[in-house]
Amino acid sequence: MSQAQEPPRRKLLRIDDLLQRNVYDVDQRPHIILHAEKCEECEYKPCLRACPAECYVEVGGRVIFSYEGCLECGTCRVVCPHDAVEWDYPVSGRGVYYRFS
Amino acid sequence: MGQSAEFDAIVVGAGPAGATAAYHLAKRGFNVLLVERGRGAGSKQVFGGRIYAEPLREVFDDLDKAPIHRWVRRERFTILDGDRELTLDFRAGASTSFTAYLTQFTQWIAQKAVDAGAVLADEVRVDGLWLDGGRVRGIVAGPDRVAARVVIVAEGVNRLLLERAGFVHRASPRELALGVKEVIKLDKKTIEERFGLEEGEGLAWVLLGEVTDFIPGGAFVYTNRDTLSVGLVVHLGGAYQLLRDQVHVLAERLRTHPRLSRFFEGGDIMEYSAHMTIEDSVGYMPEHFAYDGMVIVGDAAGLLLNTGLTIRGVDYAAYSGYLAAKGVERALSEGDASAEALRRHYEVPLRESFIYRDLMRHRGASYAMKNPRMFREYPRVALDTLEEIYTLGRETPLPHEALARALSRNRVGFAEFALRMLKVVMSL
Repeated sequence: MSQAQEPPRRKLLRIDDLLQRNVYDVDQRPHIILHAEKCEECEYKPCLRACPAECYVEVGGRVIFSYEGCLECGTCRVVCPHDAVEWDYPVSGRGVYYRFS
Repeated sequence: MGQSAEFDAIVVGAGPAGATAAYHLAKRGFNVLLVERGRGAGSKQVFGGRIYAEPLREVFDDLDKAPIHRWVRRERFTILDGDRELTLDFRAGASTSFTAYLTQFTQWIAQKAVDAGAVLADEVRVDGLWLDGGRVRGIVAGPDRVAARVVIVAEGVNRLLLERAGFVHRASPRELALGVKEVIKLDKKTIEERFGLEEGEGLAWVLLGEVTDFIPGGAFVYTNRDTLSVGLVVHLGGAYQLLRDQVHVLAERLRTHPRLSRFFEGGDIMEYSAHMTIEDSVGYMPEHFAYDGMVIVGDAAGLLLNTGLTIRGVDYAAYSGYLAAKGVERALSEGDASAEALRRHYEVPLRESFIYRDLMRHRGASYAMKNPRMFREYPRVALDTLEEIYTLGRETPLPHEALARALSRNRVGFAEFALRMLKVVMSL
């Protein structure tokens, strides 16, 4: 059985390269607070894969959170099985500014 | 804002639902405050890409002046698995929906609200509902409390205020999905050539299978005037166990997929956005759409229909805002903003409308879509059946043999398959 040659796969953009397409006005104070001590007992850590901005990363078994690239979708609060995410929207019009979505 | 006189209505959230409610109330002469956390209306809006027009014609008499990108004529549905692809390509006789940026479309509605006399307070985050013995008296924003005869909650899918005040249960991943999208710039001509579109005509494309790594959800492509909206939706209920990669990796795999990348080739990514959407609308609905001093509209009320082939939320949002404005008008003109009055004038008409009726009629589809086999085994059954039919050696199988082999290869029992298909057909 002969098969047509597939074109080579193009390179995937990393998250930083995707987020850099957006306009942000980042607040100095984080709008989300992660109670990371609760993450240690977490088996699945769904935030690591479900956060579309990769705000949650695992370093040496610990979950490290940064809010700057947050797309304000709220998914992390919903998927967190341990209620470790204290979530609010940014104040004063801060955060992501969507133009074409 | 300070301590101010009472408004007739405060609308929380200048999305399509809230801005429409504010517009129709202001137009009827009411004193309306429209509060929006973003910088200007629209700046926090994300959707897939298409809006159904017919309900909006009753809501806006000048819909044709809205920032419409393309009228959708071409509908495409694809199952992808490696180099195998099954596509249904349909060109409709007429168009009933258009593509747009929700950011722009929402701005258009909010501007109408302002022109009609509503006060838009943007860059204001509402921190809570002002409750007084179970009755909603207004809103709390920072140090300020602002009173209103009625509060219209249009806070969207992420219902922080309603949850905090105890009007709805805590959001469950089973009820919700996450959507991500990339907006890709291409010129008009290129879009029309690549997708086989007439000038100004649009396409809506739903894709299943490999594009969501076979977990429940689906991918989409919408053609805008000179951009494409390309993204995917994954159900959060299965995300714990099933999601093997980060969601943005799935989005990038979609854009660079060997069978799809030629459509996006050469286009710059202008924006990358994310938003939650409702998967189980009936489960997400509040018990009531109106309480003492408050009505709930749009996504916050659970009003979004995803049948698997079509998704509609923006027209439902705007129409529910319109129904809320009419209901609040009646309640206020009777001088009664009690739960009973608001239910009589808003909740009852909403439950009798096409929105609620269709959400109830389609609730079976949302159950079917929670079944991971619908997204893993069943798409492959379709591809394997066609493979049996078209990829011939010496033997030409009968159609039922082709299906039986495809079912057995995917370990799907015939009875299960027949029952499931029957349920899907019945729910449609």
